[in-house]
Order: sequence, then C-alpha cells, then structure tokens
Amino acid sequence: MNAQGELALVVRGARMQLRVIGALIIREMHTRFGRHYMGYIWLYFEPLLLGVCIGLIHAWRDRPMTFGPFEFHAVGYILFFVFRGILNRATMAINMNRPLLYHRSVTLPDVFFARHVIEFLSCTGVMLALLFGLFAVNGNLPESPIKMALAMIMMALFSQGLAFLAAALAAAVEGAERLVHALTYLLLPASGLFFLVEWLPEWLEEMALWIPTVHLFELLRDGQFGSRFHAQYDLAYVWGWIMITHLLGLAALRITRARIGLE
Amino acid sequence: MSLELVDVHKSYVARGTHKVILRGASGYFARGERVGILGRNGSGKSTLVRLLGGVEAPTSGQIRRNMTISWPIGMAAGFQHMLSGADNARFIARIYGRSVERTVEFVEDFAELGDYMRMPLMTYSSGMRSRLALAVSLAIDFDCYLVDEALAVGDTRFGRAFAERIERSGLILVSHSPALVRKLCTRAAVLDQGRITFYDDIDEALATYHAL
Repeated sequence: MNAQGELALVVRGARMQLRVIGALIIREMHTRFGRHYMGYIWLYFEPLLLGVCIGLIHAWRDRPMTFGPFEFHAVGYILFFVFRGILNRATMAINMNRPLLYHRSVTLPDVFFARHVIEFLSCTGVMLALLFGLFAVNGNLPESPIKMALAMIMMALFSQGLAFLAAALAAAVEGAERLVHALTYLLLPASGLFFLVEWLPEWLEEMALWIPTVHLFELLRDGQFGSRFHAQYDLAYVWGWIMITHLLGLAALRITRARIGLE
Repeated sequence: MSLELVDVHKSYVARGTHKVILRGASGYFARGERVGILGRNGSGKSTLVRLLGGVEAPTSGQIRRNMTISWPIGMAAGFQHMLSGADNARFIARIYGRSVERTVEFVEDFAELGDYMRMPLMTYSSGMRSRLALAVSLAIDFDCYLVDEALAVGDTRFGRAFAERIERSGLILVSHSPALVRKLCTRAAVLDQGRITFYDDIDEALATYHAL
C-alpha cells in the first residue's frame, strides 16, 4: 500500500472512532441522567454545590490569608472533582457498556474517552461559572486563564490514565472498586487541594512534590493568583506520569478486552 | 466479497481450566449466500458467532472479512437495557454512520413495536427484543447478517417479512433449530467437536445433525 492509501485508511479510521465516541457521549448522557433536563442540570450542580460548600466551610474556619479561603478552596475543589469524577466512575464503565462491545467499532478506550469528555466539559463549565461569580462579587479575574485550563486538561489526562488502570484492575480482581473509592478519599488531603507547597515545612515540601496532582494544583493557583505566591511545579514530571499511566493503562485494557467474555 | 475462516482455533482459560472451543475450523461464505450452522448446546455456537462478527479474536488462525457483516444479532447483544428502543436505534445508526431519522422510521415500520419504541428495553418481551434487533440491523443494511440462536419471531407477520427481506442479503444463522435453518438457508453446516463441516445439501446436514 502506498503512503497516500495508508493515510486515507488512517483518516477513515479516525473519522469512525470520532463517530463512535460522539454516539457514546449522547448515550452516556441518556443512561446517566435520563431524558430530563433536571439530569443535565445536576451534571453541573453536583461539582458546583460541593465546591461552594467546601469553599464556605473554609471561608468560615480559616484565618485570613493573602487570598480568600473561599476562592482558594472552591476553585481548587473543581480541579479535584475532575480527578474524582473520572476515577470513581471508571470501575463501573466496562460492565455498564459490555453489551455495546458487540459492535466491532466500539472499543474499550472509546467508552472511557466518551465519559471523560463529559466529565471534563461539565467541570470546565462549572469552573467558568464559578470564576464569573467571583468576578461579579469581588472583581477578581484569574491572572492566567491558560494556566488554569492547562491544569484542568492535565488533570483530566492523568486521571484518564489512572482510570484505565483502575478499570482493568476492577475487571481482574473482585472488590477492587471499593479500594479505588477509598483511595480517592484517602488521597484527598495529600492531593494539593488544601495547601500550597510554600506553606509546608521544608522536609514535607520535597515529599509533596513527588505527588503529581500537587504540581497541578500549584499550576492552577499560579493561573488563579499568580504573583501573590511562589508557585512550585514541574510539568515535565506530570507529563511523564500521564504517559506512563496511559501506556500501562491501554495495555491493561487490551488484556482485559481479550479476557472478559461477552456473556 | 466473502467471509473466510482459515484453520481457526479458539480456547479459553476459565477458572484455571483450559477449555478448547474450536480446533481448526475453516469455512467460506460468499456474498449473498444464506448458510445455516447447526450445533448442539455447548458446541461453541456463540463463540463461533462472536469470532465471525469480529468481537473476539481467534487464539490462532485467520478470519478474513471482505464484506460488511452485522454484529452478532441475538436477543440482547449490542443493546442497552436502560434505554428505549428508539434510543438504541439512534445509537446504532450513529456508530455505523447512518441517518438517525431514517433508521428510527424504518424500525418503527418494521418491528411493530408501537408505543414500546419509547419504553426501556427491560420492559420488552423476548419476541419484541428479537424484532427490534433484527429491524435495527436491517436498517443499517449489511452484506451479511450474523444471527445467533433461534429467533423468537416464529411464523408471524414479522417472521414472514424478515424471511422475505433476508433473501436479498446474505445470512449466517447459527442455531440448534433445524426448522429455522430449512426455512431461511440455502446451505448448511454442522458444528461438532470444534470443527465445521459443510454440506451442499441441507437434508444431508440435517441428517448428520440429528445423528449427533
């Protein structure tokens, strides 16, 4: 086959995969929320409500700091919700979509891509609403929306790699989904949602920077508050995590696909 | 245009035991042919259908697909229980790149589901599920239809409409029902001991099957 023929084949395959992912997105919305508008509203309100609550609790409890505890925690929580939403739902994804694998063009990664697009877009929408609300109340605009967007995208990608692995694990080991749920909560204090690296004692700083999500929270806050604190992050380190989790995760899904019976 | 199996082997490891389903199955299905494959329960019919439909890969051997082949059409395969018949039809139209409106229209006409088109699949009887699955697959228009097990359509108005429509396409029907094979197919094969034996004469295939 000549190069042009190969290219045409790749383009055709890509177009088909996009079609499948698009169809899966629509289907996912219908199964998750039914055909009622309330369901779609809930998609936005769940992270917004939780984010605002966490923000309010901290606004009421915390000592005053250079920036408002509400905007610090509420906006941060949305980034955490990307992680939590993608990872927690991952363990059910294969079982819920098993009948659809009867269609040759539907692959396991497609099923995950579709869910993650929904999760990412809803969290991005919530983030925009929250930032707009903050602007309306106190006139503060983020210093670099691009850095915030990058933090959201990288968080979604990192979570996606972990989601592949979690789903493969849940398919291989019974009860693994409970472990995954527990882990997302246990990791919450270490995730970087509640602190800046510069607040930590020196010996903890280095340890905290081993955790990839800590870098992403620093990046988010660099975009949100910028010059008001000294942000510490290494994006190459996080990209490394994204790549490794994707490689291992996609390989694990391949093995899983061969192992799971369809009936 | 054809579908060809070349020395296909398939085995599973289930709960620590090695189970061999196919041991060197070969076969050739030309476009437009209607072939019945008869097999007793447990002979590996469903596995064969999934291999033909490309939803599972053979352990060794080759499956060459040179025509469009439907997904394995059974009672529930490929459908979502929580969604309505119409939503399922829309989803399948989208993934195969067909017009959503025309697919739903065709299914409404053909499947005779009435108001059930807007109800979730879990409220369907087995006959309704069969009708929906067959109607949706016919709306997509494949070269060859891959049908698993006895369909709960029988000698109804729908059953006759389906038999008439399928004469214009190819069919691979994997079933344990000789009557259905005789009604819909022009050629038959028997699946036994992990191999497929083809017979040009349907009666010969049925006699072999009864003797198993």
